[in-house]
Amino acid sequence: MTDASAATIQLFDMWRKQLEESTQAWTRLVSQAPAPPPDPMAFWRPVLNQGLEQWARMFAQTPASPDLVTQWKQFLDQWIEAWSRVLGQAMNTEVFAQLMGRSLEGWLTAQAPFKKAGEQALEQAVTTLNLASRSQLTAVAKQIVELEERLERVEDGVQAILRRLDHKERA
Amino acid sequence: MGQERFADVVERFTNGFAAGAAAASPETVKQWQEELDRNVRRLTNLGKLATAGEPRTGQTPRQEIYKRNKSRLYRYASSRRHRTPILFVPNLGISRPYIFDLLPGGSFVEHMTREGFDFYLLDWGVFGPEDNDLTFEDCVVKILPRMARKVLESSGAEELTVLGYCMGAPLSASFVASHPEIPVKNFINMAGPIDFSKIGLFGLWLDRRYFDVDRFVDTLGAVPADLVKAGFKLLKPTMDLSTNLNLWWNLWNDKYVEGFTALNKWANEYVAFPGEFFRQWVRDFYQGNKLFRGELVFGGRPVRLGEIRCPVFVVGAKEDYIAPPACVRALIDAVGSREKDYTELPGGHISLIAGRGAALHCWPKVSGWLAPHS
Repeated sequence: MTDASAATIQLFDMWRKQLEESTQAWTRLVSQAPAPPPDPMAFWRPVLNQGLEQWARMFAQTPASPDLVTQWKQFLDQWIEAWSRVLGQAMNTEVFAQLMGRSLEGWLTAQAPFKKAGEQALEQAVTTLNLASRSQLTAVAKQIVELEERLERVEDGVQAILRRLDHKERA
Repeated sequence: MGQERFADVVERFTNGFAAGAAAASPETVKQWQEELDRNVRRLTNLGKLATAGEPRTGQTPRQEIYKRNKSRLYRYASSRRHRTPILFVPNLGISRPYIFDLLPGGSFVEHMTREGFDFYLLDWGVFGPEDNDLTFEDCVVKILPRMARKVLESSGAEELTVLGYCMGAPLSASFVASHPEIPVKNFINMAGPIDFSKIGLFGLWLDRRYFDVDRFVDTLGAVPADLVKAGFKLLKPTMDLSTNLNLWWNLWNDKYVEGFTALNKWANEYVAFPGEFFRQWVRDFYQGNKLFRGELVFGGRPVRLGEIRCPVFVVGAKEDYIAPPACVRALIDAVGSREKDYTELPGGHISLIAGRGAALHCWPKVSGWLAPHS
């Protein structure tokens, strides 16, 4: 158990080191290249290469057993957890909230005329076909809900009267 | 390094692996055979998963006691050893309530009924455009008092316990605080947000500086299920990745797959919010924190948490990022009850009440607290 957790910590350290190195490699790549590289894989190659090299070194040093698969699973869990924490921190900022608010605002601005036009077109189409429109059906459903509510109020009133009569009779 | 061919790196990787494999012992070979067997079972279950039908959820026997528009009140079969019935109030919108009765052996409802509680569940239902005018206030003033009376009528009891989960907790706390004529014997809050100044990510995203709830509701009318889903997925973007990784890891285990299928069905079935309900929920709770501040007035009645004087039990989840423990715990200091208890359990918002952890930690705690109070 202790060996497994030590190995996991070691793996996690390796991953962290790998991430730091790849970030440095990316920074170098981005600062050196004046124009976007023609090879789309160029951006990801440093991280892929380093990742594969780390794994190759590890596989070469350790006898390959299913324990390694378990360690790999733990490594992935920690990797996901680390990303989750990083993303959580990024999203828990005023800047992100502001950005999200603006995106939503933009989406709503774009959505409103489309929604209205779509509803109007549908309304016209079903009216031409002599069918009940969505708004008419919704209005009927609302009336049924209101009717149900009124019936309940009457039911409540009758029950209150019955309770009072019952109390009087007992008294 | 950047100029090196990708194939060369793969070749070096393969060579390294081969060197390691050469040192394999008989024990390692046996372990690999077991691993292979697991993988065969994984593939078999993957096939089953792809072709399986709908899982049978909500199997605890129940009876519909009352219905109002989309909402239903269900009473579950039990030995009813305890006199005080429980009215369970879950969240409105977001998700369906069968999570509380997911599968036999993994159901909160089943646990409570087996413990002898007379258990009632309020299913708010799935709302349509005709319900867009339904408000939070309507739920507190019109629906909940009626449901509570129906519980008392059908059980023949003189008092009831109100148990609110998630949004059901502020809903039912508002109801209990503003309806002293309803005889509530106990109130339980499970992972229900109370102090919205400590609500976390959702609180920041829905802050009035960044989120115009009026424009949102006026444009859309209601909050569609897809938007609700997007909001919750964004809260934990790596959730799907870890869920699928864990599924693959446990795919050899039939029991896990059975639970996953049911839970996955529930996790992908989001429910829309009625527009006016959402407007009031965001404006008065997330943006105004009016429940905690005692500034709400529903149906002409002030809603003051200090008016809750019955025994109160509050359960928070340590890793809850929807209703963090601090915002749930706030109820303890706000109520006027003499007897009040708080417990913080391991797990998240959902795993607090559903799953193996819940059966181990949460359900016995709730039933254990409630039994002498019922």
